[in-house]
Amino acid sequence: MNETFDLAPLTFNLPSYIMTDEIDFDAIIGKYRSDPFDYLDVRTAHTGQVRFRVKEDAEVEGVSGEWHHVRGTLLYELLREGNQKKIFSSTNGVVSFIRSDLEGKFVEAGEKILTIRHPLKKREIIENILRQVLEPFNAPERAKYFFSLDLQAKIDKHGQRGVSIKPGDEILTMSLMKRDTPVYYAGEPGIIHSVYFQPGISIPQGEPLLGICSQEKLPMIQRIITRVKAEWE
Amino acid sequence: MVEPLSFSAIQQLIAAEEIPSRLLHYPSEVVQAVYRYGAPVGSVIHHLPQAERLMPLARQRINECEARGHSCPSGMVFSADELTGGRGRFQRSWHAPVGGLWLTLVMANTLLPESMRLYPLAAGMACCEAVRSYGLDARIKWVNDVQVAGRKICGVLCESFASAAFAEEYVLTGVGLNINNLAFPAELGATAVSMKELLGHDTDLAGFAARLLAKFSWSFGLLCFDEAQRLAADDGSGAHLPDSLLLGAWRELSDTVGRRVWFGFDVQREPQYRAEVLGLAPDGGIVLRHLESGAEVVEHSGELLYID
Repeated sequence: MNETFDLAPLTFNLPSYIMTDEIDFDAIIGKYRSDPFDYLDVRTAHTGQVRFRVKEDAEVEGVSGEWHHVRGTLLYELLREGNQKKIFSSTNGVVSFIRSDLEGKFVEAGEKILTIRHPLKKREIIENILRQVLEPFNAPERAKYFFSLDLQAKIDKHGQRGVSIKPGDEILTMSLMKRDTPVYYAGEPGIIHSVYFQPGISIPQGEPLLGICSQEKLPMIQRIITRVKAEWE
Repeated sequence: MVEPLSFSAIQQLIAAEEIPSRLLHYPSEVVQAVYRYGAPVGSVIHHLPQAERLMPLARQRINECEARGHSCPSGMVFSADELTGGRGRFQRSWHAPVGGLWLTLVMANTLLPESMRLYPLAAGMACCEAVRSYGLDARIKWVNDVQVAGRKICGVLCESFASAAFAEEYVLTGVGLNINNLAFPAELGATAVSMKELLGHDTDLAGFAARLLAKFSWSFGLLCFDEAQRLAADDGSGAHLPDSLLLGAWRELSDTVGRRVWFGFDVQREPQYRAEVLGLAPDGGIVLRHLESGAEVVEHSGELLYID
C-alpha cells in the first residue's frame, strides 16, 4: 500500500504590530484588504524523487467531508527506496509557485517545491488575528482531543468563556489508539476564549487546540472581532 | 480469588508452557529476547477483595513510591475481586462483579512514541490469546476489544500517566474479563458474554490471571523486541525495516479486516460514518474505505461497530 500524507494545515504569518496591546487596526485591515490571502509553502517531507501532479495556476482543494475524511488534491508524489508517498493539499487555493525544474529529480528534505495561495474568509481573518493575541495551547501529538470531565462540567455550567484555567490544571484528554493521556495546562492563567478542535477529528502535532486569554485582554479581543466583522460586512 | 497469584507462578507458567508453544512459531533467540523484555510483568502484585477502581489506585501508588524516593516497579499489578465504580472509556460504567478478572498493569514506558502507541494493540492481543488458550474462538476487534461470536468478553483501557515527583511516564493497562460472572445489566445482556456461559463451568481465576500475565509478558516483550529490531535495521532511509511481529500476530487474531463497520470517536453515542475495513496500517491505525464517498482514510483513534 502506498503511504499517503496530508500537508500540515495552514499556519498564519501575521505582522508583529498586533502583538502589543496597542493595535493599529488600520494597518491590520489594510494588510488584509490589499492581500486577502495566505501563502502555504509546501516543502518535501524527506529526500526522494519528486513527481508533480499539479501545475502552476492549478486550483486545488483541501480536506473535506463531515469528518475530514476526504483528502484534498494530490499535489505530488515522493519516491524513496521503492516507498511512494502521496502528498495531498490540506487547503483550497491556487498553485502560485512551483519548482517545475525539479520534476523527476531527487530532492533533499525540506526543499520548498510549491506554494498554495489560499483565499482567506472573514472567519479565517478573525481567527488569524486572534491566534496572535491569544495564548495558544498546542497539540502535543497528532491525536484526537476532548475536554477533561471536570472542565467539561464547568464549561457546561458556566459557558466556555466563564471558565478560568491555570498551569497544572488537567484540561484535556488526548486519545490515540485507545490510549488516553491527560493533558495539563502550561501557560499563563486565563479563560478559554477559542477552541480549535472538535472531538472526533484528529489534530496534527503542534496545531493550536485552545486560545487562552487573560481577563484584561478580553475587551481588546472583542474590539478586534467587532472591527473586522464590520469591515468585512 | 486471585490471591494465590504470584510472580513465580507466572514465571513457572512461562517456562513450562508458554516458551515451548512459542518455539513452535519463532526462533529460540527471538523467544528468549522477547521474554527478557517482558520479564517485569507481574513483578509486584497487589490484590484487594474490593476496590472502587484500580487505575486511580495505581496512580496513587506510583506517586507514593516516588514520595519515598523510590521508582515504582515496572510490571506492578493491582487486582480486585470486584470493582464498585468500574468504568470504561468516556465514563461508560463497567459492570465488575465477583467472578470476573479485574486488574491494572503498570509498565514504566521505555518505548519511543511510535512504538508506545501500539501498547493498546499488544494488550488486546494478550487478552485474546489468554481466552483462546481455554479453547474459545476469541477474536480482536480493533483496537483491543476481545469478542467471542460477536459478544464482548473482555475490555481494555490504556492510560498514560506522568508521575508527580520524577515525571516518569507509565502506561496503565486496565483489563476487565468476564470469567465466572454470569449476570449482566440488561443493556449489556445481548452484547456481553462470560467464559462460564461459553464453557459451562467455572475457571480457576488465579490460574487464568497467571496465564493472562504470561501472555502480557510476551506481547509487551514483543513490542520492545520489534522496536529494537527496527532501530537496528534503520539505516536512515526508512526502507528495509523488518515487519512488526506484534502487528503480524495481531492481524492473525483479529476478525476486523474486511468487515463493514460504523466508525466513531465514541461510536456508541455518535457513530460518524460507515466504512469497509481495508487493513491495519504499519503504525497500528485502521485503514478504512468510507462507504458513501469511497474515500480511503487511516484512523488512529476511535471505535468500530460491526455492521455485519
